[in-house]
Amino acid sequence: MSEEGKKHYVKIRATENMKKLMTDYYIQAKTAAGTGKKVCWITSGGPVEFLIAMDVIPVYPENHGAMCGASRTSVELAEVAEEMGFSRDLCSYARLDIGQAVTAGGPIGGLPRPDFLLCCNNICGTVLKWYEHVSRYYDVPMFFFDTPFIHKETREHAFEYVRNQCVELIEFLEDQTRRNFSENKFAEVAVKSVQAVDLWKKVLSTAEHRPSPLTCFDAFIHMAPIVTLRGTQDVVDYYRLLLSEMEERIENGISAVPEERYRLIWDNIPIWYEMRNLGKLFASRGACLVADTYTSAWAVDIRIDEPLTSMADAYTSVYLNISIDLMVDQVLSLIQRFKADGMVMHSNRSCKPYSLGQYDIARMVTEKTGKPVVIIEADMTDSRAYSEAQVRERIEAFLESLERM
Amino acid sequence: MGIDSMEIDSMIENIKYNPYSWARSWKQKKGKGVIGYFCSYVPEEIIHACDLLPVRIVGRNAVATLSGAHLQNYCCSLARTSLDMALEGKFDFLDGTVFVHTCDTMQRLSDIWRLNAGSEEHFDIVLPARLDGENAFDYLREELSSFRASIERSFGKTTDEDLRRSIDIYNRNRELLAELYDMRIKRPELLSSEKLYLIVTMSSLVEKSIHNSLLETQISDMKRSASPVGLNTVDEKVRIFGIGSLMEEWGFLQMLEEAGATFVDDDFCNGRRYFEQGITEGDDPIMAIAKRIFERPICPCKYKVSRSRVQEIMKRVQDAGAQGVIFFQFKFCDPHAFDYVPLKEALERASIPSILIEIEQGSVSLEQLRTRIEAFIETIRG
Ligand code: SF4
Ligand code: SF4
Repeated sequence: MSEEGKKHYVKIRATENMKKLMTDYYIQAKTAAGTGKKVCWITSGGPVEFLIAMDVIPVYPENHGAMCGASRTSVELAEVAEEMGFSRDLCSYARLDIGQAVTAGGPIGGLPRPDFLLCCNNICGTVLKWYEHVSRYYDVPMFFFDTPFIHKETREHAFEYVRNQCVELIEFLEDQTRRNFSENKFAEVAVKSVQAVDLWKKVLSTAEHRPSPLTCFDAFIHMAPIVTLRGTQDVVDYYRLLLSEMEERIENGISAVPEERYRLIWDNIPIWYEMRNLGKLFASRGACLVADTYTSAWAVDIRIDEPLTSMADAYTSVYLNISIDLMVDQVLSLIQRFKADGMVMHSNRSCKPYSLGQYDIARMVTEKTGKPVVIIEADMTDSRAYSEAQVRERIEAFLESLERM
Repeated sequence: MGIDSMEIDSMIENIKYNPYSWARSWKQKKGKGVIGYFCSYVPEEIIHACDLLPVRIVGRNAVATLSGAHLQNYCCSLARTSLDMALEGKFDFLDGTVFVHTCDTMQRLSDIWRLNAGSEEHFDIVLPARLDGENAFDYLREELSSFRASIERSFGKTTDEDLRRSIDIYNRNRELLAELYDMRIKRPELLSSEKLYLIVTMSSLVEKSIHNSLLETQISDMKRSASPVGLNTVDEKVRIFGIGSLMEEWGFLQMLEEAGATFVDDDFCNGRRYFEQGITEGDDPIMAIAKRIFERPICPCKYKVSRSRVQEIMKRVQDAGAQGVIFFQFKFCDPHAFDYVPLKEALERASIPSILIEIEQGSVSLEQLRTRIEAFIETIRG
């Protein structure tokens, strides 16, 4: 099958630029100690704009986790944490990160030591426990940015609480860096962040075109800069480049999947070690994963006129911090916007806030749209919990059922 | 309204096999409402002040089935078996359910419950995960006030006076439970571990003032039998400190005693973490409740810059003269699984032996556990 899938596969040229961008970034981060710049580990949903504005280098263990997953080095790192007593049932990003700190293993020889930590629980409660460990392990301070979960709507006092924490965070950073926070610099960063987010949204939206110029598997790879470095000029430039390439593809009729027949939505974090194979499998059957609930999490709205206020709102209402009903609304709008024929859900044993509730979401989505949903059981980086045969079988059966519809 | 020792025993039996029957019949008799809740952070006083009975949902000892349509098998059994019961209609006597923000599982369970198993009223109290600093405190106070407003919308207005009265009753319960614990730390043979946790669990399943008189009787009974006569006739049991969320494996507790050991103190949420720290009354009862939430020993789902759960627990382990620690945790419980490591390491440094027992409700093999526990107690005895 893979041969067929490969036949018309056209590489995204910008990938090389992204690799360079990310390599430069990791080199800078790993050599920060010599330059006097501070390094802050931050959770994927954290408000990075503050760090950029304070000239602090953000490091994302989750992004690193994805790299370890893709390079299949995650299991050996996770095992180190398991030997320390961390249960195998815990989030595998957390486990492999705890392991890499000890062994400096993985594709880039480990992450640079943090000077301090910024932990935001808008994605899960796991990060709190994980960062508590990191804080103890390196004996560095941590700022915990608490974003109340939204069951129905954001309430004024919750909003107030988050906004006040932005101010506390600024004080914390001033303390840690011994520098003053500059509102001008922050406004500049916010502008760039907005530009980058805007471009990123446009990139993702090109998949509305039929056939789509990119799949969510491409988006998973190209999201690294928006997650880690938004607020910098490089990222703005990069997404401008990527966007023009996608537009060019549309013009020239280049599709991500040769002979696109089905358009599907992906839910949850990618199965990093298996992404390539899955991509081929779907492509070989003419199925294009046109959108996902994951990469759009970084398409948050920040208003330039009121950056602090709008940031508090944006960071609180990310996909993983809202109730099942609100998630369903978002999935429905993706299905509608991207004219999808169905959805593939990765039930990810590492990530409870993402996965618990999927069964209900699947049912509600099918009830409301008549579109089929398939759920596959896996783990984003721990391949020991993965049964390739079973997953393939489920996907094949699902694609066959689409055929009959 | 006195309660005699025999009544205590029959109430305990009843709770053990039928945790909710008391609430059901109370509702029938009094015609009042019952509110289910999951977590010891729920401000029960606010519910109580509305003339409602708050009862804690504690899952059950059976393999989960129906919940499999909603929750993956990597979800903790507390959530799964509780949802099972709700789907079977076992909670049809509830007039409402309250969820507070603790772990990721509870957060999602709240939605799933509301969408599938919901009792008439559903409340979410999104507690801050951070329990220090003015900002978190202000938020918490607002959140509690807004919970009070919404429960009043459903069940009728209360006054601050009502709330203060409930706080008094709850504070009394905390004092009595603390007294019971103190006595047991000195003389653990006066009350078996099983009976102890049945009593604490019962506190969250029956009307508080009734539980208060039960505790009064229990304590005075214990005082009588604690008289110096016969002081040295009992076998010394190995003193164990327990750490975990809910301790409700009654068979395990019996087995522990049979193995010659007993829990002398704990950090269970149906143990000391439930009653530790009373509410200091001020003018504003909501403020007073918020203060207790801020100041009580934290559970692993919560964060405080200034407070180390590890150090606090280590101190309590030492104060209780514990010779060993049993971690008794639900499989797939993330917050406790994370905290296990630093706690275990601190215990190792202090040369206090510990053992980790992970269970899933409904599939506990007591015989396997017995072998492990006996070996553990043996090593302590040396
Ligand atoms: S539990 Fe989920 S959201 Fe949290 S760190 Fe792990 S994968 Fe990310
Ligand atoms: S047992 Fe653990 S995972 Fe389950 S609801 Fe309680 S805290 Fe959450």
